[in-house]
Amino acid sequence: MAKIYEDLSQLIKRSRLTLIIFSLLLFLILAFYWKIQILDHQKYWKMAEANHLRSLPLPAPRGLIYDCQRIILADNQPSFKVSLLRESIKNDSQTIERVSQLLNLRTEELKARMDRYRWLQTYGPVIIKDNLKLEEVALIEARREEFPELQLQVEPRRYYPFETTAAHVLGYLQEVSAEEIKNNPYKKWRGGEMIGKAAVEKQYDDYLTGQDGQLIETVDSLGRSLGEVNRIEPIKGQDLVLSIDLDLQKKAEELLEGKEGAIIVLEPGSGECLAWVSSPSYDPNRFITRFSPEEWLSIINDSARPLENRVIRGQYSPGSIFKVVTALTSLETGLITDRTAFFCSGSINLYGKEFACWFKPGHGLLNLPEALKNSCNVYFYQLGRRLNVDTIARYARTLGLGQITGVDMPGEKEGLIPSSDWKKKNQGEAWYPGETISVAIGQGPVLVTPLQVAALTACLANRGIKVKPRVTRLEGKMEAVKDKTGLNPETFEKIIEGMWRSVNASGTGHGAYQPGFDICGKTGSTQVISREKAERMIKRGEEPAKTHSWFTGFAPRYQPQVVVTVLVEFGGMGGQTAAPIAGQMFKLYREKYVR
Amino acid sequence: MLDRRIFKEIDWTTILLMVVISIIGIIFVHSAIYFQASKYVWKQSAWLVVSLLALLILLVIDYKVLLSFAFPLYILMNIILAGLLIFGKPVANTRSWLVFGPFQFQPSELTKLAVILFLARLFSDYKEDRMSFKAFFLSSAIVGLPFILIALQPDLGTALTLIPVLLGTYILAGLPKKYLVVILIISCLVGFIGWNYGLKDYQKKRIETLLVPDQDPRGAGYQLKQSRIALGSGGLTGKGYHKGTQSQLRFLPARHNDFILAVIGEDLGFLGILAVFLIYFIFLFRLFSAVQVSPDRAGVYIAFLSAMLIGCQFMINIMMIVGLFPITGIPIPFLSYGGSSLLTNFLIAGLVINVKMRRFAYVRF
Repeated sequence: MAKIYEDLSQLIKRSRLTLIIFSLLLFLILAFYWKIQILDHQKYWKMAEANHLRSLPLPAPRGLIYDCQRIILADNQPSFKVSLLRESIKNDSQTIERVSQLLNLRTEELKARMDRYRWLQTYGPVIIKDNLKLEEVALIEARREEFPELQLQVEPRRYYPFETTAAHVLGYLQEVSAEEIKNNPYKKWRGGEMIGKAAVEKQYDDYLTGQDGQLIETVDSLGRSLGEVNRIEPIKGQDLVLSIDLDLQKKAEELLEGKEGAIIVLEPGSGECLAWVSSPSYDPNRFITRFSPEEWLSIINDSARPLENRVIRGQYSPGSIFKVVTALTSLETGLITDRTAFFCSGSINLYGKEFACWFKPGHGLLNLPEALKNSCNVYFYQLGRRLNVDTIARYARTLGLGQITGVDMPGEKEGLIPSSDWKKKNQGEAWYPGETISVAIGQGPVLVTPLQVAALTACLANRGIKVKPRVTRLEGKMEAVKDKTGLNPETFEKIIEGMWRSVNASGTGHGAYQPGFDICGKTGSTQVISREKAERMIKRGEEPAKTHSWFTGFAPRYQPQVVVTVLVEFGGMGGQTAAPIAGQMFKLYREKYVR
Repeated sequence: MLDRRIFKEIDWTTILLMVVISIIGIIFVHSAIYFQASKYVWKQSAWLVVSLLALLILLVIDYKVLLSFAFPLYILMNIILAGLLIFGKPVANTRSWLVFGPFQFQPSELTKLAVILFLARLFSDYKEDRMSFKAFFLSSAIVGLPFILIALQPDLGTALTLIPVLLGTYILAGLPKKYLVVILIISCLVGFIGWNYGLKDYQKKRIETLLVPDQDPRGAGYQLKQSRIALGSGGLTGKGYHKGTQSQLRFLPARHNDFILAVIGEDLGFLGILAVFLIYFIFLFRLFSAVQVSPDRAGVYIAFLSAMLIGCQFMINIMMIVGLFPITGIPIPFLSYGGSSLLTNFLIAGLVINVKMRRFAYVRF
């Protein structure tokens, strides 16, 4: 036997060459593995961590808001919300469609919502529906496997147990807007977070907002939680005690039921507001949800403007209320004494124009307290004729008008105290002396907010010491913010005499009279009519030409404890509508606080 | 009849390497499978025993005898493939499984064996220095027919594993440069037509993903991204056996087959990868070097084409999981989970050992 070999050397050569190419390629590939595993190790390590660790915010409950008797006005309730985890979204548009079907949402709306938050922190969950019903929670739970991108969470949700009561003090929450997040980078707001958007909820938002906790958990590739890694408990926000007295508040709201207007009850010593009513009101619970634009629109488009906080944002002509300012100016400048008398024949001709008193037969001869008691226009025309408008403006400002009171509420308006400078600047004309006549009785361009009137009344009650109104209670060593006007307390006594007579000696404020409670007050009626409102009143079958009705007063005369200011839009004469309402408030206050 | 001497020539080292790689595979299938891991381990172990037995049976039969059956086997396999396309029931959207009661088998796997044998048979008498057009055409057609039948199942991944066999034939037979131009033109044509009419959307996506990996992080790019994260986070020494978060938390797709190496890379780090590469390289080296001891032309073809088949699958897989090659669903021979693939690879490697042990030619008078 002999071995015979074919000549296979050519084939062997080719095979060897192939093996060499193979080896080189393998070496290059190994180098690539080196790059990934050794050089880029840190980068991929972080990506692996981010892959399997998920951080969830644990929302902190907001601080509760109490009234002065520790009754809860703003509470928290557990509520379910569902978020879409963007890290789990495999196919954006398809997922959005499926999810919107499951949750009965509109696809375009959901898409728009996802787009709005796209720029936020990449993996932050976006809340897509809240305040879920139990059936919806069950539905999502049951289909967990199909919808790993949905995340159910319990969040403490604001709840206002008294609904419309004190809504204008409390305010409401709404979802933080994308703009607000951008403009307040230091606030650490999350997308979809509810923040205070009005009144106390806004003013004390930082104080009420707690510190969110954080839950870090391990998840698998389907986003299912496999257990906690770390947990930082949320810290609840601080509680807030308001000076509001729920009983007085409710009573005041009841008295304004069906009317548009405002009531303020405050203590002149501390500036604490016990009642703060702007009517009509709204139910802040309806704003808590993030997703009901229709309802929201219906409220902001309501012509009665229920969201408007009339107490600080309604600017009204003060009418005869302003007579106290004119009187004070006249006394302080030495123009008159309290015994100076003028004759009222029912009207007076000044600068070639007829100015009428509201009381056609005329009041006859009267001095200052009587003029205040009867709210005689002619008497104050006489003063207006002798006064410079700038002098009146100076005293009005000294008393706190034409500027914000500084109450702890957002969005307060300044009102308007006209002067010759103001007219020149705004209308380009010189002031006519005839206009001063109107200003003297609170007509013309003068504008005040109900809270300014209440603060003015407190200043009168304090005999010249202004106090800054507040809706939160003074606690511990806190002190009321006071400011001296520097005016003579004696001057105030003279005006108070007139205000006392107005209520207690059958004056215009007689409607506020309460036996055994020394109320001093002043009425006001102003003819300001907007066409829109007049039309609405005609629709309701009411007399449209009615005037705004004012009453402001304090009690008792000496060592005053309480100020009540009432404004009823289109309420008619001040004595008819506002004064009796104020009387009711004084009565309740006395029953509750005066022993 | 059988000469007892040849059994002393059995390349036990290569068989041992195959078994070692298979056992490493089984160990990491256990790490990769989250749920009922032991079931997979037992199944794969059983397949390993079956494959080993099949290998030993194959060794008994002289490869020259096998060559004489190459043509009928090739025809038979193509008929089965064609029949599967017409009558087969789709399993997981492909018609690649032959089901006999509880027993399932992929004929496409055994087809590889038939193709290798048939090509070896065809070129056993081909002594030209350069490849003729006839040979070029014939070999292309031999690979082309089952390629198309398998690609239509559709199982492009398995079909593509046939390409290295054809490539190997071209290399051995000495493909003239002018045919390279022809191949290039045909590839472009096929590529163009295939892209527009043939490829399924998911297949196109995979190729696009290779070019721009981050454009679709949850789709096709997702697999690549997760595989890279698994490897990269493994670092030098890895996170430890069963401790890789990427595989344990199931971020890594197809962990037990196509991406088994990523599991090893995550658990054992670069050192683990290096070890696997080294063992595999020794194994491939031994397959290729069988060419040098082959007694005849057919043996050379068998050894070389088999080495190409296994070697290229390995190369493609290790490139695929780091993004150097499109994700085509090609597993690593011996390492990845899968019964019929394990058996086929044992048989293909068995052919090489078969050739090697019969390296002494006896002239009969």
